[in-house]
Formats: sequence, structure tokens, C-alpha cells
Amino acid sequence: MSGTAVGGPEPWPGVVAFLDGTQRYEVMAYAGSSPVVVAEIGAAVLERRNRHLHVATVARRRLLIARPEVLLELGETAAGHEAVALPEDGPAHPVHDFVLARREVDRARGRLEVAIGHRYREISDGWLIVDGTLSESPQWAADPRMLGICKSHATLPFAGTDLEAYLRLPAGSRSPVFQPAGHEVAPVCSWALRLWPWQGKDLLHGLIRVEAAPTLETVAHADQLSRWLLAERAPVSTPDPRWDRLLYGIRAVEEYLRASGSR
Amino acid sequence: MSTPPPVGRVVATELKPATPHQFHFWTARESPVGIGAIVRVDAPGRTVLGIVTDGFAYADLDRPIHDVIGAEGDPALAGQQPTERTEIRLYTAAVLRQVPEQPLQPVPLGTVFLADDADVSIALRMDAFLAGAQPTGIPIGVYAAGGLEAPIYLDADFLLGPEAAHLNITGVSGLATKTSAVQFLLSSIFQTFPAHRGTVAAVCFNVKGPDLCFLDQPADLPEEDRRLYARLGVAPEPFANVQYYAPYKADGVNLNTLRTHEALSGNTVPLIWGLREVLDYAEVLLNRDDVDAKAGALIDFLKERVVGREFHDITLSERPFEVRSFADLEDFFRRIFEFLEVQARGAEIWRTHHVATIRKVRNRLGNISLRAKGLVTDDGQPSDLPWGKFEDRSLHVVDVAGLDPLVQDLVFARLVSQLREHLERRDLGVDHVVVFVDELNKYAPADGQDTYVRRMLLDLSERGRYLGLVLFSAQQFRSQVLRRVVGNAGTALFGRMDMDELATPGYGILSPATRAKLAALPKGELMVRHPHFTQPLFVRFPRPAALTGRLGVERFPPATDVAFGAAVARQLRALDASITLARLEPVIEGRREEDVRRALHTTRRVRPDNVLAFFTAQLGKRVEREVTERRGVAPLKRTGGDPYA
Repeated sequence: MSGTAVGGPEPWPGVVAFLDGTQRYEVMAYAGSSPVVVAEIGAAVLERRNRHLHVATVARRRLLIARPEVLLELGETAAGHEAVALPEDGPAHPVHDFVLARREVDRARGRLEVAIGHRYREISDGWLIVDGTLSESPQWAADPRMLGICKSHATLPFAGTDLEAYLRLPAGSRSPVFQPAGHEVAPVCSWALRLWPWQGKDLLHGLIRVEAAPTLETVAHADQLSRWLLAERAPVSTPDPRWDRLLYGIRAVEEYLRASGSR
Repeated sequence: MSTPPPVGRVVATELKPATPHQFHFWTARESPVGIGAIVRVDAPGRTVLGIVTDGFAYADLDRPIHDVIGAEGDPALAGQQPTERTEIRLYTAAVLRQVPEQPLQPVPLGTVFLADDADVSIALRMDAFLAGAQPTGIPIGVYAAGGLEAPIYLDADFLLGPEAAHLNITGVSGLATKTSAVQFLLSSIFQTFPAHRGTVAAVCFNVKGPDLCFLDQPADLPEEDRRLYARLGVAPEPFANVQYYAPYKADGVNLNTLRTHEALSGNTVPLIWGLREVLDYAEVLLNRDDVDAKAGALIDFLKERVVGREFHDITLSERPFEVRSFADLEDFFRRIFEFLEVQARGAEIWRTHHVATIRKVRNRLGNISLRAKGLVTDDGQPSDLPWGKFEDRSLHVVDVAGLDPLVQDLVFARLVSQLREHLERRDLGVDHVVVFVDELNKYAPADGQDTYVRRMLLDLSERGRYLGLVLFSAQQFRSQVLRRVVGNAGTALFGRMDMDELATPGYGILSPATRAKLAALPKGELMVRHPHFTQPLFVRFPRPAALTGRLGVERFPPATDVAFGAAVARQLRALDASITLARLEPVIEGRREEDVRRALHTTRRVRPDNVLAFFTAQLGKRVEREVTERRGVAPLKRTGGDPYA
């Protein structure tokens, strides 16, 4: 595998939107040894026009997650919250149940992001950049004007010397386009792009993985899309520790959701 | 009427909490809010009015280095970033008033609106003196922010007494703010001072150039200024009742002022004092080294026993002395010395006074007549301000710009003392007198010698308000003026300030933003502090409706100094336009100049119907020079030969 220099950053033409979601949860009480978790999830799209970000669409949900019998007991107390029942596949356990509740929050947030993405698509056909994978939704994966930006590299597409070359991409270079494994339901094209030099830092510093619709056009335009993404390095997303991979537009969505959510 | 949209929202954090006296609010990036703007916070059960004292803007940038990293070190690229950073405009406001006022609580996290006219009135507590049967508001200017414009009033009771009094104005020179502001304010007082608070007049000292020399002449005002006058309810007119006073130059006939254009001579009169007037204030002119206890005793003796009355001393003269002028005084001293040297055979004491003390006092007093030549007269008849006959809304301008500084002090000390005495006796003619003094740092300096004038100004500032004697003062540097004098001014105005001055401790209470605004304040804007206003306020005022000194001199060029005869003719022409030099010359030909001056002063003082006849009569009978036939001296008788031969 060898990297390809994509060229200098180029400003994104036209309107671009950024989609992300946030979640916050805590144990409100214990019913016996099983936790009762309350969560707030939110998702929003901020659209950029004339270099300024504006809220295009936003949604929030409050969740109450517990075992089914606990939810029944809570009854009216849970008003204003969406009740989510934990699976009863074993005896109540405070840690195990909490892990399950956290997964439910993740799933709910993912669903909300997909719903918000669809809502945005109903009102705009502009470019939409999503924080994370496009495989959340087959529609996203097939959308020719959506990009997913993956900051984590838990699974890597190559091994051996190819992986070494992949991880040592110089700044402003991309990997070849590949089809990541495990995305059978919603297949996508993907490539890695180095936003910032990694030398002197970590191998993953500034390395993002881009996902796009699995079309020939995507492959043909991978360099162009990479150049547009390179321009999104600035403004830098500090003080977020992920600033080297976090696009400012995505961070702005997170900040908006955190600042405007209930306390 | 639709409710105006909010401009911001109060925010409070642990680091920046809202308190009963201060709060913070954010606004949109494009907002009419600025330093000095008055805002209203609406919250359930409480309304808070505040004035913006500081502003902050910052983005979500963590450290400057991150902007450099984002732009890859190229400032040109920094402006091309695809997304503008999120930015905040955060303002700090000082509370002007809370409604209800009790219990006093921290400012609630409410919605922020720009104040309207009614809000401004409540915020500045003007409702207390503008409403009611006997309002006492004096317009000072307009407060403007966000397209709103509200007239601002001072409380006459706190400007002219008796509650508080005095006004001080500070600002750098040359920006037409100090003098203009005082002119406008005097005009405003004369037009709006309520009759139920009595009568008022003003005495202004013109201390430099032609500054106050044309207050009775109309100025050409731009439309914007006329609009401001209309908004404030003040007519854009020059002062209607103005009298100018100026001493003569050393020649005794040309006035020592730039207001010598013939067209303006009708209300320009000479300021002339006699020995009596000067001797009462000798302390002003003589320093502490001059007036020791012995000299002071002799001066007191002269004042109490000699000057202005008959003094008998057979040892000096068989006839009683009538010392009314410096010339008489000089003759009196001469007789004393003659007595000591001749009759007393070199004695050194005359009436317990040592000859050295007498010589010292003679020298010092003689110097006064030299230094103040033009102000003091030898004929003993003064021409002074109309004591006891001050008219309501009359303005008296005393031009001392061309005088020796010490003589300026004398004029100032005597006039203010006279005002004080008459106001104490309630026989001045008016209830309140505003005294305007520019260059206060010269008369009441923070450092330096404790002079008579400084003590007098201090007394005036501390006790004048009970009498109705009000000091309006101005200076470039407030920090250089005696603290107690400016501290007693109930109202303070600040024009554009020098940064050095703003760095002095007296301005520490102002926020950095307010100080920065003061350092760049445009012409026609002032910051006002007044007892009713809990925070300083910026206002705009119109140009004065009277001609400025510079334009006045262009429109009414001062008459050039002319020869003695022509100067006398010009002065008499102010009383009778038909008098020409050709008519006057035969009258004064061959007369002594001091006799002509004496006749002129008397004529000006009496203002007779037939000016020339009266003047001629005052000259007295002409003493013709006696030309005697030359008589020869008989030659010595010749004896016909050298007697020593």
C-alpha cells in the first residue's frame, strides 16, 4: 500500500452541514440492586453558510432506563421520559445492568442521529458530514453527498507492511480507497487521510478515516474530497483533546448540544 | 406600541456573578449596545436599570497558539478559515437603580433591553425632580444609544444650591469642550432655571484670548445642533443681557481686551479701581515676606485711619490729608519722610512705625500702581460691576486675559469677595450668582504656595452654596487642582482626557473601557457625574449659540491701539456717535493727559445727555500759558580795566 498526496487544502464549495449527537446519563436510583438510569440524548445538524454555523435541525430525548417491572412501578414518575426496558436475561446486578443501560443510550443516540440526518436530508441536498460511520443507516451509506468521519481506529483495514504504511501516511496524504469489512448491511467506501503530521507524536495523530457512498464517483473524487476535508482542519478544535481529528464543525455541534441541553 | 426586541441576556457564573451593583450580559455580535449605554433588565417582580461600563469579546479559541497552528503560521490563511469561530460579546453593567429598591438583591438573570426615555428618567432618578408642581430640571445634553435619544437634566437644587452646588469640568485644551459646555450650560440655566427657585446671574472671568468675548453675538449653528436645542427645550440664542468689563492698558485710554471693535463698545465698560478698592486686597498682591506683622500693622493703619477720609497730623501738614489715590498716598509718604528727616532730625519712628517699615510699604504699594496700571486710577473714582443692581439672567464678563497674573488674582479676589459680601447681605440684586473660572489649576493648585486666592476658592467651594455663590470651574488636569475644591463640586463634567491624567488615582473608579472612551471622546460629548446619577453618564450637547472667540475676532476684529486723542474720541463715541477726533482735538489740545483721562472716566461713569459739553466741563477752565515779555538783564557796569591787573 502506498499513500497518495492529495494536494493543498481547498475550501468546500457551497453549503456544508455537520451532524453529531451527544448523550448524558446517570444513575438516578436503585430498585433493589438494579439501577434506574436517566439519560438525555440529543442530535443536531449545524449548517454553514457564509462561514457561519446555524442550527438547521435539532432533536432531544429524555430516557428512563430500567428493568420492566421497575418501569411499571415508576408509572407517572417517568412522565416526560421515554421508557427503555432493560433485558431481563439474568438476575439484577448493579454493574451489569448499568453496562446494558449505557448500550441502550448509545443505540438511542445513534437512532436519533439517523433520524435527524434524514430530517435534514428532507430539507437540503447539500453536503452533510457525520461524526462517525455511515453504516448506521443504509440510506446514509448510499447518499452520494454524505461523508462519515471516523476518529477512532479500533479496527484497522490492513496488516503487516501495508498497515505500517497506512499508519505512517504523511500529512496531506490519503490511503487507497477500500471497502471496510463488517459493513455488509450498509457497505461504504473508505480511505484514511492524514490531517496533521504525526512525526514526534502518535502514529494516529491527525489520522481520520473517511467513509463515503460506495460508488465509482467516490473513488474518482477521493482526492478532491480529501482536499476539502484538509481545509476543515482550521479552525483547530482545541481545547478538545481530539482536536487533531475532530473537525471544528463537528465540535461546534457537540458544544451547541451541550450548552443548550437541560442541566 | 410594539415592545422593542431584547438586546441581550444576563449571565452569571461563579467567577462573574451578578451582584446588587453589577451584572454581566451577552448580546448578538451585531448589537447597538456600547460603553455608556443604559439598559433595562426585566425579570419577574424586579426591573433593574444599569449602564454599560465594560465590554469583552472572545472566541472558543483555547490559546493563541492554536490559531497559529490552524493557519499554519500564515496570517493570510487565518482569515480564510472555512468556519468563523463562535464568538461572544459580553458586557459588564453597573446598576443605576433597582425597582423595587428594597430589598436590595443581586440582579436577576433576566432579558436585557435598551432603555427608552422613561427608563432613562427612572434610571438617573430624574423623575424625582422633573415631576411634581415645582420641577427643577436644567437640560445638560442628550443621552444617545441604539437610535434612542433622551434629554438629560441636572437638578437645579444640586447645581446651584442649596442641596449641593458647584460644577467642575476637566478636559484637554483645544477641543472646544470646556468653554463650550459652560456656555451651553449657562444658557440652559438662564432659560430654564425655575422662577420659584429665585433669580440668577453669572460672572465669568475671561482668562485667555477672546474665549468669552462675544457671548452676546449669534453663532451660525448647523441643523443638527438646532435639533439638539429643540430636543432639550432650549432656544438657540446668544445671551441677551451681557456686560463686559476690561481694565485699560497702561496708556489709560485703550481698553485691555480683544473686544474693542466699535460695534461692540455699547456694553463694554472700563474696569477701574481706586486706592481704596486695591488696598483692601493688598494681601493678594503682597507675599508673606512683604507683609510681616509690622508692615501689616502699617497697612491696617492706612486703611482704617488714612485712606478715604480726612487725616489730621499737624506735624506733617497744617491742612488735613485726603488720600484717595496712589498719587495722594505717595504725597503722604513723602511728607512723613520729610518730617522724619528734617523736623524730627533723623528720627526713625513715626507713630510707632519704623521708617524702614514705612519705606517697605511705600515701595510695595507703589509697585502695585505700576503693575496694575490701567486697572487702578489716580482720580479715586472707580468703575466697577453694578453692585446691588445685578439683574436676573444677566451675564457679566470680566476680561483679565491681558493682565499681569498677580493683577488677575487681585481682580478675581476682589470681585468674588464683593459677590460674597453682597450675597451675605442679600443686597446684590439676585439670589444666585455663578462664577466661572477657567484654568483653575492656576488659581487653586494642588501643590505650591497657599495664596489668598486659593484660600478664597476653597472657602467659596465649601461655603458658597449656602449663600447662592456657585463656582463653575474648568481646568485641563483635575489632578493638579486642590482636591477639596474639586471635591466640593456636586457636578463634574469630563471632556476628552489625556491618558496621563486618566492614569492618576482619581480616575481609578472608572472602568478601563470608560477611561478609554474618555481618552477618545469626540467634540461635543461629555461624561457627567451628578449627585442623582449613581454612575457617570455620557451625554452630547449642542454647540453654544454664541459666537466663539476665534470667529468673533474674525467678524469683529479688535480696533488697533490709537494715539491718545483718537482713543479718547473712540471712547466718547460709544456714548455719542457724533463725536469725532476733529471735534475733540480743540477741546483736549494742550491739556494734561491725566486731566483728560479723569474727565473721560467721569463722563463714562455719569453717561450725560450732552457728552461733549459734560466732558469739556470736567476738564475745567483752561489755564492759558502766560507769555511774558522777555526782559533783558542790565549789563554789569564796566569799570574800564582789569581790577586785578
